[in-house]
Amino acid sequence: MDFNGFKQIVIEKCAALGIEEYELYYQSGASTSVSAFQHEINQFTGTTEGGVCFRCIAGGKMGYASTEALTAQQAELIVEKAADNASVLEAEEQVFLCQGGQEYVPLEERAYEMPTTEELVSTVLATQEKLYAADSAVIDGCQTQGVAESSEIAIYNSKGLDLHSKTNLSGLVVVAVVSDGQEMANDFQIKLGKLDAIDADKLTAEAVKCAKGKLGGEVAPTGQYPVVFSPEAMSDLLDTYAGIFSSRAAQKGLSKLAGKEGEMIASSIVTLVDDPFHPQAPMPRNFDAEGSPAYKKNLIENGVFQTLLYNLKTAAVDGRKTTGNAYKSDYASAVGISPFTMYLAAGDMTEEQLLIKAGNGVYINSLGGLHAGANTVSGDFSLQSAGFMIEDGRKTRAVKSFTVAGNFYEVLKNITAVASNLELPGMARFGSPSVLVEGLSIAGK
Amino acid sequence: MISREICRKVLQKAVSTGGDYAEIFAENTIKYNVAMIANKVESISDAVIAGAAVRVYKGMRSVMASTVDTSESGLLRCAAQAAEALGQGTAGIDIVLKERTFGDIHPVRIVPSSVANREKVAILKEGYFAAKEYSEAITQVTGNLMDVDHNILIANTEGLYTQDRQIRTRIAISAVAEINGETQTGSCAPGRRMGLEMFDSVDPKAVGIHAAKQAVTMAGAGYCPAGVMPVAIDNGFGGVIFHEACGHSLEASSVAYGRSQFVGKLGQKIANEKVTAIDDGTIPNAWGSINIDDEGTPAQKNVLIENGVLKSYMVDKFNGRRMGMASTGNARRESYAYTPTSRMTNTYIAPGTDKNEDIIASIEYGLYAKEMGGGSVNPVTGEFNFAVNEGYMVRNGKICEPVRGASLVGKGSEIIQNIDMVGSVLEMGQGMCGSSSGSVPTNVGQPMIRVSSITVGGR
Repeated sequence: MDFNGFKQIVIEKCAALGIEEYELYYQSGASTSVSAFQHEINQFTGTTEGGVCFRCIAGGKMGYASTEALTAQQAELIVEKAADNASVLEAEEQVFLCQGGQEYVPLEERAYEMPTTEELVSTVLATQEKLYAADSAVIDGCQTQGVAESSEIAIYNSKGLDLHSKTNLSGLVVVAVVSDGQEMANDFQIKLGKLDAIDADKLTAEAVKCAKGKLGGEVAPTGQYPVVFSPEAMSDLLDTYAGIFSSRAAQKGLSKLAGKEGEMIASSIVTLVDDPFHPQAPMPRNFDAEGSPAYKKNLIENGVFQTLLYNLKTAAVDGRKTTGNAYKSDYASAVGISPFTMYLAAGDMTEEQLLIKAGNGVYINSLGGLHAGANTVSGDFSLQSAGFMIEDGRKTRAVKSFTVAGNFYEVLKNITAVASNLELPGMARFGSPSVLVEGLSIAGK
Repeated sequence: MISREICRKVLQKAVSTGGDYAEIFAENTIKYNVAMIANKVESISDAVIAGAAVRVYKGMRSVMASTVDTSESGLLRCAAQAAEALGQGTAGIDIVLKERTFGDIHPVRIVPSSVANREKVAILKEGYFAAKEYSEAITQVTGNLMDVDHNILIANTEGLYTQDRQIRTRIAISAVAEINGETQTGSCAPGRRMGLEMFDSVDPKAVGIHAAKQAVTMAGAGYCPAGVMPVAIDNGFGGVIFHEACGHSLEASSVAYGRSQFVGKLGQKIANEKVTAIDDGTIPNAWGSINIDDEGTPAQKNVLIENGVLKSYMVDKFNGRRMGMASTGNARRESYAYTPTSRMTNTYIAPGTDKNEDIIASIEYGLYAKEMGGGSVNPVTGEFNFAVNEGYMVRNGKICEPVRGASLVGKGSEIIQNIDMVGSVLEMGQGMCGSSSGSVPTNVGQPMIRVSSITVGGR
């Protein structure tokens, strides 16, 4: 059955069980992915997914149950399960459903037609030819992939909320593999947008350039150096540590930012923004996972900490309003907290000026093992890195297989220069310009 | 779940445009997770995952379509979508499905999805409060009890029609300790391919104490120094070094496409002769075990490296075509919505003959990595990393003070030459391994080993 039919059964079941406060969160999506290997399409995937998460307040607690099977039996079962799950919860924080009838920032219309399978196939094959043609070092192993995805979210609750959003996304992925006869290196690039608006020449050239840059790299020398993080590397670091801006983490003693609003927590040249409507945000929405209005805000302004990110429950704990940052990692997960599109605001130096300011140090454009080598509670990190040495203010030889170690809270304070080259790489959920950070430890040879 | 007759019709549809092989994978899964923080039960998530995917091969091409609509008409639509994407051609296969059973070598006594919330909460609380009460330095504890009841059906044009039920249970406790303003974490997360009887052999209290003790030890530790040094890596989750440095590069998903440091190296010596490494999906009730893989091939014990010589890759049916090799029973997918590919199951370095005390005694200045965290690798270059969750300095053959914040990095093909001592006591650790076919449960394992030289990322 469809979501509306399923919803009706749930509404009736809630009435029968005397459940007055409840919400249905429906997510569905369809995606197509086509990839090419050795000049031929070798893989095609088409998926359709969809599921419903039901939650209700019973005895002052929020119980959840979810299903992908939209049947009458499941509609009744998830109501019973959610009520039963609520009955064993103990957390004392008051729980809320979002009030209907609020005002939302109107979304700019920028939906575009999804590419057809034929368009995906021809673009992917053409891009692969560009990859082989880009450089004689390119070898078999290269892959190009085209993706198209549409996603729909609906939230309906007993407090008059009835929201709906549909977004489309398409993009091109390029994996370049190069060899110098001695060793291999590779690079992955992704660009989102309307397929015919993506500059495939630029994307393949960038992938090949980055892959070739990794050939012949040596291990960096051990020591303390000024480090310049590329936009990609710094975006990855922001992604990894975004959780410290969660009010839940602060309230549970898992973030050191608890109670620091109004204090200098970063260098005065640091401004950190969360913008749900950033032009590059791939799937913009004007409401969060609870249905609260989303809005743009500064988390850090000129080094001063402005606000944690809140949902309805954590906002009530701190006696303030939600920042509209309720988040679900998938339709079935409990409501948590996340930024929409978080980025470090651009400064006014060029990257070249940043390198001159660094003098002698290390330029890092790739970080690895972020899920393992970064402790989000202490802020400590020790991460696999690759990049270039900086000598006399210029990028020189390639270096790899070394680590950069430090503490994220210290990094915020030790940013001594911010470049103007703001980028939102990959899925564009995090972004940064190049930044110069003093006093990090490099472990190599 | 889906009858043989419907499967036959759907497969027939799938190969109607000239596919030479087709497969249906359907699942019905219950995923449960109860979470505690700040001494309270905070949330329960409880989800049903139900859907199916149809895959069709034609030579080196693979097409997959998936759907949540598992009715006959939904499945036929899904098959038609796959057939259409494959292109033009005519059907050439007659399909006769025979039901096959492969037995269950991972018996389950207590099915978690049938147990009331309160019983599960009681188990979790045992572990949770053991951590919380371990020391006054413990400032926060989080705990999760998770179980999965994964029912799969696989039918293919080779005539296979089979089903399997995979039940897994896991407890995870993380503790935060603060000593003199220094905050550190510790964790422990054992899991088994069994039901709640897992807790007859795994004491939840011991799990909590393990996590808390590690947090307290690390909160009192100084930073690990940086540099190149010998490292002794203990058993259990220490096996993540092989998983990252070598395992991923032996998966057909890398090898078949030339994107691996070990392409064309079968029969060659790629590791130190002390190293024998095995991927074994048949270990009864082990976290990474399966009866059949997600293409319906029975699980196997595969010797990957024997005394340093590369013996086998880990192969799935589709990538096996490109390699001219048969499946080794390693095809895995997180769910029907992912295209399966070759993945690890329970992967470990086999026991050797060295004694742990001799390994430590052999190190003049180095690191003893007692507990490892996760890691990652680029299979093309073999450059890998993983985190040391609990480490100690070794001086003059003695284990000395604890150190924190270390990670180990290197190049797989070089580091496995440097594994020059292998202890005799094998243990496994549990992890969720993420790759193109999603997140799947895998065991890593080894006895204590010595890596004669590796870069230690500290400060």
